[in-house]
Amino acid sequence: MGVVRARSRIRSSGRGSGVLPLLPFFLFTGFFLIWPVVAVTLRSFKGNKNEWTLANYRPILHSGPYFHAFIVSLKLSLITALIGSLLGAFFAYVIVKYARGKFGAVVDSISAVFANSGGVPLAFMFVAAFGTEGIVTKVLKSLGWDIYAGHFTIFSFTGVVMVYSFFQVPLMILVFKPAIAGLRREWEEASTNLGASAFTYWRRVGIPILTPSFVGAFFLLFAGGFSAYATARALTVGTVPLVPIIIGTLVDGNVISDQTNLGDSLAVGMIVVATIVMAGYIWAQRQAAKWRS
Amino acid sequence: MSKNDRESCTLELRGMSRHFGPVKALDGLDLTVRPGELVALLGPSGCGKTTALRIVAGLEVATSGELLLNGERYNETPANHRDMGMVFQSYSLFPNLTVSENIDYGLRARKVDSDKRQKRVIEMLELVALESKAKSYPHQLSGGQQQRVALARALAIQPRVLLLDEPLSALDAQVRGQIREEIRRIQLDLGITTLFVTHDQEEAMAISDRVGVMSHGQLEQIDKPIVLYNSPATAFVATFVGLANRIPAEITAKGKAKVLNQKVNILESAEPFPEGSKVNVIIRPESLELVSESDDEATRGIVALKSFLGPMTKVGIAVEGAPLIHLNISSRDVRKLDIGDKISFRISSDEVMAERV
Amino acid sequence: MGTTASGEVEKLMKRFTLKWPLVITSSLLAFLIFIVPLYGAAVYSFKGNGGKGHSWVNYQWLIHQDGFYPSLLTSLKLAVLAAFLTLALMVPTMVYLNLKGQKYKSLVDFLCILPLIIPVVSLAIGAQVAMPKILQNSEYELVFFFVIIALPYTYRALDTSLQTVALKTLVEASRSLGASWTSTIMLVIVPAIRSGITGALFLTFALSIGEYTITSLLHWETFPTWTVVAAQQNILGAIAISVFSFVGAIALLSIIALLPKRNAQRVEVDE
Repeated sequence: MGVVRARSRIRSSGRGSGVLPLLPFFLFTGFFLIWPVVAVTLRSFKGNKNEWTLANYRPILHSGPYFHAFIVSLKLSLITALIGSLLGAFFAYVIVKYARGKFGAVVDSISAVFANSGGVPLAFMFVAAFGTEGIVTKVLKSLGWDIYAGHFTIFSFTGVVMVYSFFQVPLMILVFKPAIAGLRREWEEASTNLGASAFTYWRRVGIPILTPSFVGAFFLLFAGGFSAYATARALTVGTVPLVPIIIGTLVDGNVISDQTNLGDSLAVGMIVVATIVMAGYIWAQRQAAKWRS
Repeated sequence: MSKNDRESCTLELRGMSRHFGPVKALDGLDLTVRPGELVALLGPSGCGKTTALRIVAGLEVATSGELLLNGERYNETPANHRDMGMVFQSYSLFPNLTVSENIDYGLRARKVDSDKRQKRVIEMLELVALESKAKSYPHQLSGGQQQRVALARALAIQPRVLLLDEPLSALDAQVRGQIREEIRRIQLDLGITTLFVTHDQEEAMAISDRVGVMSHGQLEQIDKPIVLYNSPATAFVATFVGLANRIPAEITAKGKAKVLNQKVNILESAEPFPEGSKVNVIIRPESLELVSESDDEATRGIVALKSFLGPMTKVGIAVEGAPLIHLNISSRDVRKLDIGDKISFRISSDEVMAERV
Repeated sequence: MGTTASGEVEKLMKRFTLKWPLVITSSLLAFLIFIVPLYGAAVYSFKGNGGKGHSWVNYQWLIHQDGFYPSLLTSLKLAVLAAFLTLALMVPTMVYLNLKGQKYKSLVDFLCILPLIIPVVSLAIGAQVAMPKILQNSEYELVFFFVIIALPYTYRALDTSLQTVALKTLVEASRSLGASWTSTIMLVIVPAIRSGITGALFLTFALSIGEYTITSLLHWETFPTWTVVAAQQNILGAIAISVFSFVGAIALLSIIALLPKRNAQRVEVDE
């Protein structure tokens, strides 16, 4: 009698960690996040007559405009991620070391704004500054440097790189700053005390510790550069072949392809690339955390 | 185990000051650490002890004053050329290097031969008894082990001076006692001149040759632990080092006071206390003794609490007109005493110290 | 000749530090990369009609276009709905997750990182394929996707704030004093994680107001998409808005950053 009562008391004390309260969340993400991804993946394997086929993937995997677009997208991501991560790391170091207190907080907010900028306003801003009639263009012209003399336009690949750097660099600052701040003062002091130069400290301790975080941040920037849509669209429709843009034109019906579901395969291709990159990011984060305990 | 190949040296600070605008972190500190001596700088947070240590190490710059090693001026020597070994409070081991690599670090920076380095690392590991952890990483070690590695790393380079910045503060109480003895043992073995900063008076008193008590950037007194304890120079030293009762009293005549209906002699002070002035008298628990109730010149009170400390028990007595008075009594003698019992005690020292209220 | 109060004054070692060269270089670089485009655009935006002189005319232009108010209203409406849907969904979820649902934490964490991994473009296509017709015919479908896109940020905001508060202790204290679950949540937990809730609210709102990609791919008209179309007629007006939104955001966030913060009490709990 006493035993039975005890058991039922335990059950009703709410010790069970049931999944019920989390159901709304799982249903929501399942329906609005997982299902669309699954659906587009499934449809990417369906041909014009609804049969199962790999036809949608052929244009991507064999040389041709779609394959080329992937290459260009990857190139863009790589270059902007490099510029962003190197410059951003430099700025992050200077900020952590020399920007204190309120000033540091303001710099943080400004970085946050710039890092989340992008899209159409950013594109327009750059057109205003660097377009053929742009202010900066005119100023440089008056100083003797005609930037449009060669192949450059703000609407070219180089132009897009310039514009992307505007948000990649601050994004790097935001993501990498904690890693630099995590370098304890004691390490540098101990190194000095033991007789090593600053160079030796960075070579043997500072940089090795920062590297996983740096690599992780690089991957993050890469993924961002790859998936960016709005900015690219405002600058490049037609002029620079980028995968997100092509998907957009297919969706808009501006470009008709033999394969009705080509857009799907492109979308899935993007997911695959993004996933690989993010896996790299998560791995790098884990490495960085290994020494922190 | 090879001793420090270098000869012990004398560390001297003359008129050391460090000002941050109006704030004086250090105010004219004069200190000499003799060869092979372990001197502790003891004081509350902000008293300047850590600043002094960091100036010696070269991590901070003094606004004025001189730093001398064996008579040679070191003010301008860069921190990485001072040949001093420093142990920090915590987290100073390089997390991406193994224990061996950490210990090896200073030797590599000095471009010591690879063979010699290996030998030295093994020596150091044996010194702190961590041979089994040679290939471990800092995050795999306990706090106490990490500090032992930090000590080994600092000593590996055969420094002329050993500097310790509150090395035990971040450790568990249990471990603290062990490591502090280990530090002292090694320091004595190597005969290395050592400066040790701490806010824990028990620690300082237990292992130092001399203790310097600091407050507000200045040295209040520096002497052997027993001298500090028995003959504190100021009220601050008296209350910071060891336990003390602060009891209100009144000056009755030059050099005399009345405290809790007992008459005592007051230690001479720089400025004599005017008659009739109110002072606090500072009395250590062991300078109070229990007497029988019939003693008329004793102070009467009621037992308010008993704290069992092992061989001794600290007894707190409630007396009218004074804060709780603490006595240390052997636990055997105090067995029959209960809370609420009436009790009488006397001051048994010849002279007591007084401070202005 | 007396001695100075502090005795001999030693000359401070003039050690060569890297500080000023670094600060100057980075300031110059920052100026070139960030200020120049912004400034150039700002100057451009003040161009009067016919490209001569300076005027505010471009800043006023947009407001007078057809579709300004309708599209702005739509954006506000969707953003507010998305913000509240996020709260309704995520606050109970996160609270439960940190209290009793610990073992699902990594799964939820992963699901909330997913929107960062899945390119928004791909999600948009997926939405076209997967969403039922009723939903696709209404602009309200955007609300759900705004919530999804904001998930990584709202999860982080709520999680951080929940970690800072000693949740278990608060709940146990509240329950042991006799409060019901509802009271505990409303009167104890919610106030404690106020900063996380406001953060999540604002993040979702800001994201939704400015979202362009999914909106345009699903062919809906909100403020951002309308602006782009309208801007094609008047590039100056578009630039004016861009500059305005930038400067405005910086000013707003700087003010918020400079406000004195109330320190959340960090309670360390020994489990």
